[in-house]
Amino acid sequence: MTPKERFLGALARKEMDRPAVGCVTQSVTVDQMEWAGVEWPAAHTDAQMMAKLGIAGAKVFGFENARVPFCLTVEAEAFGATVDLGNRVKTPMLKAHPYSSEDEPAIPEGFLEKGRVATAIEAVKILKAEYGEEYPIVAGTTGPLTIAGHLVGTEDLLLMMITEPDTVHKFIKVTAEMEKQYIAALVAAGVDVINMSDPSASTDMLSAEMFDEFALPYTKHAFEGCGDAKKILHICGNTTSLLEHMINTGADGLSIEEKVDSAEAVNIVNGRVALVGNIGSVKPLYMGTPEECAADAARIRDAGFNIIAPGCGLAAETPKANIEAFVKTIKG
Amino acid sequence: MSAEELLEKLSDVVIKGKIKEAKPLAEEALAAGASPEVIIFDALSKAMGVVGQKYESKQYFLPQVLLAAQTMYQALDVVLPQLKAGSAADTAAKVVIGVVEGDVHDIGKNIVKAMLTGAGYTIFDMGRDCPTKNMIDKVKAEGANIVATSSLMTPTLAAMKEIERILAEENLKPQVKSIIGGGATTKDFAAQIGADAWAYDAVEAVEVVKNLLK
Ligand SMILES: [Zn+2]
Repeated sequence: MTPKERFLGALARKEMDRPAVGCVTQSVTVDQMEWAGVEWPAAHTDAQMMAKLGIAGAKVFGFENARVPFCLTVEAEAFGATVDLGNRVKTPMLKAHPYSSEDEPAIPEGFLEKGRVATAIEAVKILKAEYGEEYPIVAGTTGPLTIAGHLVGTEDLLLMMITEPDTVHKFIKVTAEMEKQYIAALVAAGVDVINMSDPSASTDMLSAEMFDEFALPYTKHAFEGCGDAKKILHICGNTTSLLEHMINTGADGLSIEEKVDSAEAVNIVNGRVALVGNIGSVKPLYMGTPEECAADAARIRDAGFNIIAPGCGLAAETPKANIEAFVKTIKG
Repeated sequence: MSAEELLEKLSDVVIKGKIKEAKPLAEEALAAGASPEVIIFDALSKAMGVVGQKYESKQYFLPQVLLAAQTMYQALDVVLPQLKAGSAADTAAKVVIGVVEGDVHDIGKNIVKAMLTGAGYTIFDMGRDCPTKNMIDKVKAEGANIVATSSLMTPTLAAMKEIERILAEENLKPQVKSIIGGGATTKDFAAQIGADAWAYDAVEAVEVVKNLLK
């Protein structure tokens, strides 16, 4: 069985001798950079380098998927946000918001051919050509709500959910349509699985009712761009009470953090979608021991997760031994 | 309305986030004879406490909390300039707060700031992506009692360690206590780097700071 068959099989909730193991959230670490001879921040803007780092998780650690790009600022930058690309160990971050609430947002003309959107699409093509038979290609994308927060400032967006809900809808409507077009282009380039991360839709921020109003319809809209590609929705925090709502987006899989009890998640989801996660990215992966990582992976496997993976993005300096330990636990 | 009723109403306005009503009500309360301190402690402080409880019990989410905080700041704009030097609120403990260098996520910090402001502390907000040196300089310049930092990004945790190192090296401890928080931090990490405390969220932060100052 190729990693691709296993990963896609797991996502389709097929009976298999073991779950898949991989990473659908940020998956690059310094050990992969060393193997690839490619580093951040250069790899954020160069398709060849991005593709090389995108397969590095599979080559160095045995992840059963490739994955690009490496941050959640690609879309906002296409809308004109100022981004600091970070350094070797730090992911890009937003420096300034391009819009204020009175502005009329517009999908940037020709955005698919420009900037890091074009870089990501090109990297997918390279990965597809070189590794597309053996490995599933996961593209990391940003949820419409989170992008809208990047456009006007997340704090302001949250405030306006009460004071000016129409303004909030005005922005998310545009980001959702942009995201749909971007996803369609990624899929046309060869992506097998879209992972959409929507940290601003977390239960730390929003009630389930607000999620249904400001995230659900727009996530669905953006997912329309997927066509036959599979869809994973990643939301940070303790999403126990949100799982039902996340299923309603039409996702094939839900990627969740360690703050959700693994067994309880399996219970709630009850085979309706695949579960991806939920080894803690900070603890144990970044700050714990290999033994703790192995124990967590075994516990999550036994709970019935379909893809054993970090619960959120990996820190670039996550110790090699910790990742090896969790992968080995699943692969044997 | 009596001063007491006005305070009650102001508290309610903050809890409900009726942002436009805060300023006029605070002015009325002052005119009715309520002292700035009474307005801060009996109305605003109490209101933010209720907001915190509602957040804990999941009746409120971030949008409501942010709106309540903005409403409180409106009232504070009116009240703070009236504070007399040497009053209890004026001599309250000083907190320097900021998001460490390398991280721009500041919503959590802003909520903590609002809760601590509500609790009556004097806050010096260093904003986000704040260089360690600036943070320490401010602590020294203001004679702060507490330095509170937040980080949501693992690579920036090193900055928190650096703050502890400088606090120790410059003999600022134990007069200055440190508290950390944010998604990338844990209680273990706080203990590991020698921070005095860690808080899970803004509501807990108020309790923890109170304990640190005992
Ligand atoms: Zn996450």
